[in-house]
This record gives sequence, structure tokens and C-alpha cells, in this order.
Amino acid sequence: MQPIKIPEVFVMTDVWTAVIIIGIMFALFYYIGYRGMKMTTSTDDLYAAGFKIGPIANGLAMASTWASLATFLGVSALILKLQVPFVYLWIQWALSIPLITLLYGTSMRRMRAYTPCTFIKARYGNPATMVIACWMILVMIMYALGQLIGLGQTVEVLFGVKYEIALLISGVVVIGYMVAGGMTGASYNAAFQMVIMMITMVVPIGYVMKLMGSSGWWFPPLAYGDMTESMLKVIPTFFDTKYDFRWYFALIPAFTLGPVALPHLAARVFTSSSLKSARWAVVWFALFLGFLFSATYVVGFAGNYFQATTGVIIKKPDQITLILQLIYSPQWVAAFVVAGALAAGVSTLNGNLMAIAALVGSDILGIVAPKMDPKRKLKVGFICLAAGGIVALLLAFNPPTFLVTSILWAFGLLASTATPGILMGVWWKQANKYALIVSSMICGIIFIVISPYVIKSIVVGKGVTAALGMSGGLVTIPLSFALFIILSLIFNKMGWAPSQEEKSLLDRIHGWNDYRENRYNGTGWPVAVAIVCLAISWWGLQPW
Amino acid sequence: MKEKLYKKEMVVTIVFIILYTLCAHTASLFVLFPGLQGLGHMWGFPIHYIVPILTGWFGMAIIAVIAAIVCNKLDDEIEAANSADDAASGKGGA
Repeated sequence: MQPIKIPEVFVMTDVWTAVIIIGIMFALFYYIGYRGMKMTTSTDDLYAAGFKIGPIANGLAMASTWASLATFLGVSALILKLQVPFVYLWIQWALSIPLITLLYGTSMRRMRAYTPCTFIKARYGNPATMVIACWMILVMIMYALGQLIGLGQTVEVLFGVKYEIALLISGVVVIGYMVAGGMTGASYNAAFQMVIMMITMVVPIGYVMKLMGSSGWWFPPLAYGDMTESMLKVIPTFFDTKYDFRWYFALIPAFTLGPVALPHLAARVFTSSSLKSARWAVVWFALFLGFLFSATYVVGFAGNYFQATTGVIIKKPDQITLILQLIYSPQWVAAFVVAGALAAGVSTLNGNLMAIAALVGSDILGIVAPKMDPKRKLKVGFICLAAGGIVALLLAFNPPTFLVTSILWAFGLLASTATPGILMGVWWKQANKYALIVSSMICGIIFIVISPYVIKSIVVGKGVTAALGMSGGLVTIPLSFALFIILSLIFNKMGWAPSQEEKSLLDRIHGWNDYRENRYNGTGWPVAVAIVCLAISWWGLQPW
Repeated sequence: MKEKLYKKEMVVTIVFIILYTLCAHTASLFVLFPGLQGLGHMWGFPIHYIVPILTGWFGMAIIAVIAAIVCNKLDDEIEAANSADDAASGKGGA
């Protein structure tokens, strides 16, 4: 290993190189956004890119929207803390888009939905839509807030300016081009940003690994196995699984089922040029995202190795990706990594704001003012997009603790409130609107109450497991499914069964041109699911 | 015909849910069956570290390819069955 010089302050000294690189990058984002604006003439263009994004561009955009600033900053920080279990946690994120596409994405694409709430409205009616849209908007604001705070912190490291100034600069620059481009600009920008992310994540970490002594620097994601022994000498427990099976099982409800209901991910499936194109986009998504994610595990590995071998404790673990570059690489390489981190934050923030705009401008406005003319709707859509950005930016100056605690925790909230309604609604004719409202409200509130953030004396689980919403999610997510199914059966018996139109919708979105009562209409399997879910919920209540 | 396709849709969906979940949660198998962790090394890494990374990346991509082929074919079959129904009931075109 070559000798290294550790700077006292992790701030870029060659600011102008970074300014030029990032300036060129943002000029390209603005150009793509401008082209997108030229192509936006209807709400279909604004919210769904005219339903015409091809499989490779969409695969890149899907991966880019999913890979947030956390991929550059947060993951490696948590790998520093949890080591291999967090790698396992991160691997399963790749399930999100494939499951969305398989379980409801293509079905909702058939009805030309903008968000899952477009379906909720047709399937369950207006009151249920308001409930689910509000939960989704809350989670999207938490998500957008996390990205904005991360962007502000990245600019803070870059220029060494105050956080508030960094936030203002990054917020105005980023939100400006988003509002200009709509979903068409956002989609092509996201595809371009994914290319930037892959290059700026993989190439520089290869250089760091070379300096650390790895012979596999030529393919960082998979070729650092020769450092295993060195790692085990300094951290013998690095590869240990550390937690019991319940911890790993809890990843499924919180982190697999949560992202399934994320509207900005679902929107990526909806923008596809066809159902077939959407399915092929998933293949590209898996390849691109796997490449990027595997590189982040190397950063986590390198961060642990760096701390253990140098004795230097990184005070801001969130910045380990940037810090490693500042230590090992020339300044201009570090500037590229900063550009990659910014691209990651921007692409996800773009998706978050587009989803907020579609939820408010299309789903909620469609309820409040259903007869608004298309041109006015388009204008209101742009206003909603800008308003979402400004609200998130204002919150980011002095964020309420509750909103910034953890984006990951919010996934559990979404899985407790929205996922059962979407999945059961697409696959079960007896899913009942009143049951959805009741189960979503009850389980959402329970999830918040039993988290470590509200009432300290009522918490399920402990430590990072509770903070990430895994222990709470293992209780409330299966409970939400069970409650939804049981209440649906009860309410239907009481004479509040779904209408013929609501039931016909299921057959139509699955591609059938006729209606058959026995399709998607069993009682046995939902009851079996409810029983299993109750048992899992009980398991989650046992001491952690 | 349509009843058969409906059953096929159900089976295909359940099978792909299981395959996708197994690929993304391979690590859980190593925790559930700790004996698997002692199977040795691959490319220098402990097997329980590298295999979940590979299944979560290439495994997912392979399943996605199979899912795209199977589901797109199923869509075509449903479309053909719809057209046959339309033709039989006189709803079809010229």
C-alpha cells in the first residue's frame, strides 16, 4: 500500500476545476431539460413523457431515479457502521422495479396511469385516493428533503461555504431545470445522469483500490477479492452476518414491499413506450443498477479498510465516498465524484418532485376540479412541480426532526399504508374501499407511534433496526394486509361491496376484453394470506 | 382457452415473485442455513458475501429476461384469445 497524506479538513482546495466540471454537467442537464420542455404540450407529456420512452433509456432512467444521493453518500456510511448486513440490505433494493412491473406496473400502464393513485381513484373512489395520495406526498416530501439536504451538504464540502448558502445555490439550480423539463426532460436527463453516476462511481474507486493494494482495480465491483485476507486481519468480523434470521426476514416487508408503492418508481414503468418495452427496460435496469450498487459496496469496503489500517476515524461517515477521493485522488478526479453525487441527488429529486406534481396536479386536482380544461391543467401541473420544489427547499433550511430521521424508515410507512391497497386492488376483486381507508389509517398511525421518533416509551425493536423501521414494519405491514383482507370480507357482507365498474376494471387492466366474475375473485387465498400475515405480525411483536 | 390463460397468468406471476425474491434475498438463505457459509471462497471472497451480490445483480437480470419473454408471450396469447372471441361474436373488423 502506498503512503497517503491525510488532510485535516475535507474540503476541495481546487474549487475552480470542480466548478468547471459541475458547470458543464449542469449546462447539459439544462439543455436536455430545454429540449424536454419543447416536447411538452400535454399532461401526458408532463407526467408520463408522452408514454414513449424506449427500453434502454428507460432502464437507465429507472436505475437513476432509484439510485439516490444515498447511493453515493449514505450506503457507504451505513456499511461503515453495519458492514456486510447493510450490503445485504442494499442488494434487495434491486427488487423494486421488477416487482412493480410484474405486479401492477404493466396493468396500470394499460390504463395510462400517471401515478398508482390514478388506479386507486378508479378502483376505490375519491376518499380512498385522498388518503393514499396524502401518505404518498408525505413520503415523497421526506424523500425530496433528504436529497436536498444531501445536495446542500455536498456543495458545502465542495466550496466550504455555509450549509444555508450551499442549500440555496443547489436548490435553485436544480429545481429550475426540473420545472423547465417536465417528465420528458426528466426521463432523458435521468438516463444521462445514470451514465455519469456509473462512470464517476466506478472509475475513481478503481484508482483508490489500486493505491490500497488491490490487483482487481480494473473491475472494482467484483475484483477486490484479493483484499479479503487483509481485511480479515484488521476487521475479523467484517463478513459476519451479525443478525438473526428475523432481521433478514424483516427486510422483505419494510424494504421490499415499501418501495413497491413509491410513485416515482412506478412512474418510470408508466413512461414506457409499450408494455413489452417496460419489461425489457427492467432487464437494463437490473444490469445498470447492479453495476452501480456493487461499486458502492467497494466504497464501503474501502472505507472500513481505510479506518482500520490508518486509525483515522471519519467524523462524517456520510461523506466517505468524497473523502476517500480527496485523500487518494487528484482534485479533478474528486470533482468528478462530486459531480456524480450531485447527478444522483438530482435524478431522484427530479423523480420525487414529478411524483408530487402528478399526485397533486392530476390525482388530487382531478377530485377537487374534475372539469378543468387541459391547457389549464398543464399550467397547474407546472405550478405544482415548482411548488413541490419550493416547499421541500424551505423545509430543508430548518427541517423538522421527524421528517429527516430516515428516508428508509419512510419506506415502512408507505408499505403499511399504500402497498396493500395497490397490490390487493390489482389482484382481488373483493378489495374494499372502506377497508382500505380504515386499514391504511390505523396501520400508518401505529407504525408512526411504535417508531423511536414519537413516544420513546412505546417502541418496537431497538437501535438501528427500530430507527430504520424494520421492527415496526414487521408488525404493521403484515397487519395492514390482514386487516385490509378481513375488513374487506366483513364490509362486503354488510352490503358495501365494490361496484360492477370497479370489478370490471381489474379484468380490463389485465388485458381481457370480457368480464368474468370468477377471475381474481377467490376467498381462500386472501384468507390464507391474512392468517400468515397475522402470524408474522405477532412474530414482529416478540422482543428484539 | 381464456380460463387456461388466466391460470397461466397466476402461475407465471407467483413463480416470478418467488424467483425474484430468492435472487434479491439470497443472503437470508445463508443466515437460515449457516452451514452454507462454510462452503469456501469464490474469486477470493467468502461465498456468503459474493453469491448474494451476484444473484442480486446478474441473477435478477437473467430472471428479468425470462420474465420479459414469458410475460410478453402471455400478453400475445391473451390478445389472440381476445381477437378470437371478438371474431366469434361478430365484433371483429372486416
